[in-house]
Amino acid sequence: MPSCTTCMAPLGAPGIILEVFVFSLFNGALYGMLLFLLASGLTLIFSMMGVLNFAHASFFMLGAYFAYQIADHVGFWPGLIVAPILVGVFGAAVERYALRPVHRFGHVAELLFTFGLAFVIEEVVQMIWGKVPVPYDVPASLNVAAFVWQGLDYSAYRLFMLLISIGIFVALFFGLTRTRIGLIIRAALTHPHMVASLGHDVPKVFMWTFGVGCALAGVAGVLGGNVLGTEPGMAIQLGPIVFVVIVVGGLGSLGGALIASLLIGILNNMAISYDFSLYPIFAVLGVEREADGVLADLVNLTTGGIAPLVPYLLLVLMLIFRPRGLFGTRDV
Amino acid sequence: MRILGILACLTGLVVGGFFAVVNSSANAADTIKIGLIEPLSGPIAAVGIDAQQAFETAAEQINARGGVLGGRMLEIVPLDNAMSAEKTTQQLKNAVDIGLKYIIQGIGSNHALNIIEFINKNNKRNPDKAMMFLNHSAVTTAFTNELCSFWHFRFDANVDQKVAGLVTQMSRDSSIKKVYMINQNYGYGKSFQAAAHAIIGERTPNIEIVGDELIVPFGKVQDFTPFIAKIKASGADTVLTGNWGPDLVRLVKFAAGANLPVQFYTIYGGLTSSVAGYGADAAKISLKQVNEFHENHADLSADSVAFADAYLAKYKDTWYSDRQRWLIEMLAMAIDKAGSDDPIAVGKALEGMTFQGPLGEVEMRASDHQIQMQLMVSTLSGKYARPIMYKGNDFHMAFASDGVISREDTTLPTTCDMQRP
Repeated sequence: MPSCTTCMAPLGAPGIILEVFVFSLFNGALYGMLLFLLASGLTLIFSMMGVLNFAHASFFMLGAYFAYQIADHVGFWPGLIVAPILVGVFGAAVERYALRPVHRFGHVAELLFTFGLAFVIEEVVQMIWGKVPVPYDVPASLNVAAFVWQGLDYSAYRLFMLLISIGIFVALFFGLTRTRIGLIIRAALTHPHMVASLGHDVPKVFMWTFGVGCALAGVAGVLGGNVLGTEPGMAIQLGPIVFVVIVVGGLGSLGGALIASLLIGILNNMAISYDFSLYPIFAVLGVEREADGVLADLVNLTTGGIAPLVPYLLLVLMLIFRPRGLFGTRDV
Repeated sequence: MRILGILACLTGLVVGGFFAVVNSSANAADTIKIGLIEPLSGPIAAVGIDAQQAFETAAEQINARGGVLGGRMLEIVPLDNAMSAEKTTQQLKNAVDIGLKYIIQGIGSNHALNIIEFINKNNKRNPDKAMMFLNHSAVTTAFTNELCSFWHFRFDANVDQKVAGLVTQMSRDSSIKKVYMINQNYGYGKSFQAAAHAIIGERTPNIEIVGDELIVPFGKVQDFTPFIAKIKASGADTVLTGNWGPDLVRLVKFAAGANLPVQFYTIYGGLTSSVAGYGADAAKISLKQVNEFHENHADLSADSVAFADAYLAKYKDTWYSDRQRWLIEMLAMAIDKAGSDDPIAVGKALEGMTFQGPLGEVEMRASDHQIQMQLMVSTLSGKYARPIMYKGNDFHMAFASDGVISREDTTLPTTCDMQRP
């Protein structure tokens, strides 16, 4: 990893173009892995249970708030362990006592239930922690520069986030494909009666799958809350993009979610870094460039200005041309 | 039987309505009701509720001094718009129904515009039931330029004035050479951008604008790393931004995380919700705000300090928007001067009225109903006499003054062609 402050090539040299590219790739991957951490739980729940959990980002928010509260009393590290467990137990309880009774009314009822749950969690969070952001900070021990690249510090914390995300991907992947528990979980989805006949408690499997999915969102909250800011609006702001990740990656595909997260992170980063004008597209359509007027805003757009919309554009294109997503096995 | 029932219902309605009317007119004789249309529920209710506390405290102080017109009390009537356009309109109709003559609002220029248009129309159709709009924070400059109205009075500096304040302070710092601008891509952000270009060109031609971004607003941008990388690559020493809320908090947090060596010149960097959001990162960056008041400034008027103390004692919140105090004070003075609570007479009394603000005399300019006021630029600092408090929480930070911007430096021409009734 190039850790240098003095190796800036003169602008326009071929070296810098490659360097900016690699730099954007790395920054995009950092953000993409956070998205993956958030999306992994959702995709786990969806692929194993078929429940599209609209409240997923709310569990992410709970993870951040729990971690803040724990960090406030005993420090960040206990929070990293305890907060996701609390979120997971809460998630399991939600499945056991609320989602399971709703289950027999079908997927629409489940979807509506989780949709409502998101609002309830937001209101409760506001009641307990107030409406303004809480000062949840990166732990001081990791808030040191690990390396400097292009004049920017990369804190040890951001690398730590990256490592945890990779670790969780590896653990989930092997857990689901190589272990006995993974086998039962996957079998419970496709052949619940067979699994039950073999003596496994299918509802319990679902409960803990939901709990683990929520706990993963909790981990994302613990790690992301202090970087993105911990406030009652954080769930609403991140909620939609998680759905983009799992739809683009393919509903229920863990590898797909990983690739889609990285793709979105990197595209977002490149759109801002390169900041291409979108005018050539309009020029092809024969639209004149103008300083003001009704079309001025549209014609003068650059990729940087619409970067947060790029994932949604990707979503629309994906739904049109490949509704099953990159690695999905069934259509949305 | 059914007809009898309907008749009974109707009678009930009429009688009830009659009592309601009698009741409200009896109250109106006693108190002067002032509607406050703000988000009191929903995601940004905290800001609306803070404003409600402020106006209620200011009104209570006037009432404690004997009210207006020799004994009539002021009463703030909170009307929740939940930050939605339809609810603002609904609450305006509601205000007409209960006979409110004064409306205060300030959070969200889109709602302010809605109120200006509604009141202009209402006052044209019902001149005997005229209403007045007292704007405490909606900063779109057009409201006192091409959209100016006799019925609208703004008690806060507009975007152009605030940008003028920031740029004036920047011109005093010779180390500032390269400025990077980041703004939110909607009406307010764009007017900040336009004003900054004009005023930097005019007052500090030596400062080079090395970047000019408009971002998708309201928390849509999660990852600010690419922006931080661009700021770094541009060689900027200063970031000038109108961003507020998560769009500012994240920008600051990512800059602190990357150890970006720039200072931030902002309008809303000192909003309590933002200061709460920076957390420990605030200590790593230099963040400046432009506004009219912070309690660690040395030369504040005694009145404003006394108010800040009373407010802190009552709500455990640090006083922030002194303009909200002078809005109520000036309204009370104008009612007394006019000798009635008729909005036309009160409006005429407000034109040209002066008041001792925290930094000196402020004046409601008659030609466009834009207050003319001093501003100050201050830096968030870990060294302070009095920390910022919110709901009893000590933030262990406070603002320290960099400089005061005189009224001459914040006075800008207007294009308003005021039509008076």
